[in-house]
Amino acid sequence: MTREQIVASIVKLLEEEFEIVNPDLDANLTEKYEFDSIDAIALLEHVEDIIAAPLTQAEKKEAMEIRTINQICDFIDGIMEKRNKSR
Amino acid sequence: MERRVVITAESAITPIGHGKKDIINNLINGVSGVKNLKNEDNVLSKYLHSNVFGVIDYDIAYEFPRKFTKTLGPVSFYACQVAKEVIEQAGLTQEQLSSGRIGVAYGSTHGSPSVQRNIYEAFFDPTRKGYTKINATDYLKSMVHTTAVNITRMFGITGRVISSCTACTTASQSIGYGYESIKFGMQDAMICGAADEYDTTTIAVFDNLLACSTAYNDRPHLTPRPFDVKRDGLVVGEGAGALLLEELEHAKKRNATILAEVIGFSCCNNGGDLILPNAEGVKSTIKTGLDTARINPVDVDFISAHATATKVGDIVEAQAINAEYGKGPLVTGLKSYIGHTMSSCGVLEVIFTLYMMHDNIIVPTLNLDEVDPRCDIINHTRALQESEINIASIHNFAFGGVNTSLFIKKWK
Repeated sequence: MTREQIVASIVKLLEEEFEIVNPDLDANLTEKYEFDSIDAIALLEHVEDIIAAPLTQAEKKEAMEIRTINQICDFIDGIMEKRNKSR
Repeated sequence: MERRVVITAESAITPIGHGKKDIINNLINGVSGVKNLKNEDNVLSKYLHSNVFGVIDYDIAYEFPRKFTKTLGPVSFYACQVAKEVIEQAGLTQEQLSSGRIGVAYGSTHGSPSVQRNIYEAFFDPTRKGYTKINATDYLKSMVHTTAVNITRMFGITGRVISSCTACTTASQSIGYGYESIKFGMQDAMICGAADEYDTTTIAVFDNLLACSTAYNDRPHLTPRPFDVKRDGLVVGEGAGALLLEELEHAKKRNATILAEVIGFSCCNNGGDLILPNAEGVKSTIKTGLDTARINPVDVDFISAHATATKVGDIVEAQAINAEYGKGPLVTGLKSYIGHTMSSCGVLEVIFTLYMMHDNIIVPTLNLDEVDPRCDIINHTRALQESEINIASIHNFAFGGVNTSLFIKKWK
């Protein structure tokens, strides 16, 4: 997936599943959109669907540091690159 | 000075309507909310002998933002809706709700069974989707206390939480323990009630015990038939109800409309069989309830019987009522209109009684065409009548031998 495709998927997901429309990609999700820990876990489930593979516990813990949409996309980028390299 | 407890708001979602107008109209006109099972699951329904259910088959316009709906299973949608209506009806402010002096006593039979199935699907097939998948919110939506804490979350309530889970006595315990919390000074108000969602596994439990009605699958409106000679068992139903109980001076101070007073509550256990009803246990519960209300049996005008229409249960209850009350108060089996809505039956029966109390009527037991001689030892309501209810008692009994009686008094 390209970066643009990742961003588009995440933005669509946020709109459809989290009712966050036209989001600011660098805004703090919690402060601006009341995105809480339950939403974060739910988002990771969708990320697993996007990458079509489970995340490891370590990866999930790493993801708990994410605060913005761009950071989500960076995370997915990083995971996919890591997985591709290990093949 | 002794604290008195009054009811200052109510809300009900039932198989015969949502809100007083529809409900009282259907009670007066003898309309049943019992229909055939509303959706066919491909697993359990084909094994059930009972094909009837007290169904909520109308839309409810929920207006909850996603930040709250993400932790709501179907049972909590019901619970939060009735809680919302009670809060709005009472005109409680956010400051009051978050003061720590208002609490919630609310429960359900087992949380949300439909959501629990998601968890069990992962349990039995962890390889689905290629990896284990239990959703983040599945537990929150399905846990046994999901109704109570979704109410506290949605409305910012910070008082005590009681989440009773005793099947058919859940709501009556919620009301009773809420009453005690206020009476003994721990809280000034409590949102009390219970809810249960549509669920065929509940039917399966009773079906397996040969306790469900099966003879009227082709004529659902003719069942259940409490106290009737042709009764053949209970009908499971879904529903939700909530009451706002409030300390009297607290209610007066904010000019609240007072609907009735809760004057007594008892909860006793049979101390024995977990399924079979026990007349001595019920009698003891009635006696204890009358003592807490500080009234005599002759003071009670009306009894909402638990009356699930099982062969044995109705007889045992009739015997206990006869022993304590004789043929004094009128007795109606309100489950005849909506089925046995499980955890919510107690609060719905209180609310129906409140409606009758205000309108000075008593509705009959539906489908009571011929009273079983073994039950014909109490004063059954056989037809709609104009009658003042000054003091009413609401009975509920549950698996596990839990018995409750609530006493409410007309506010004048």
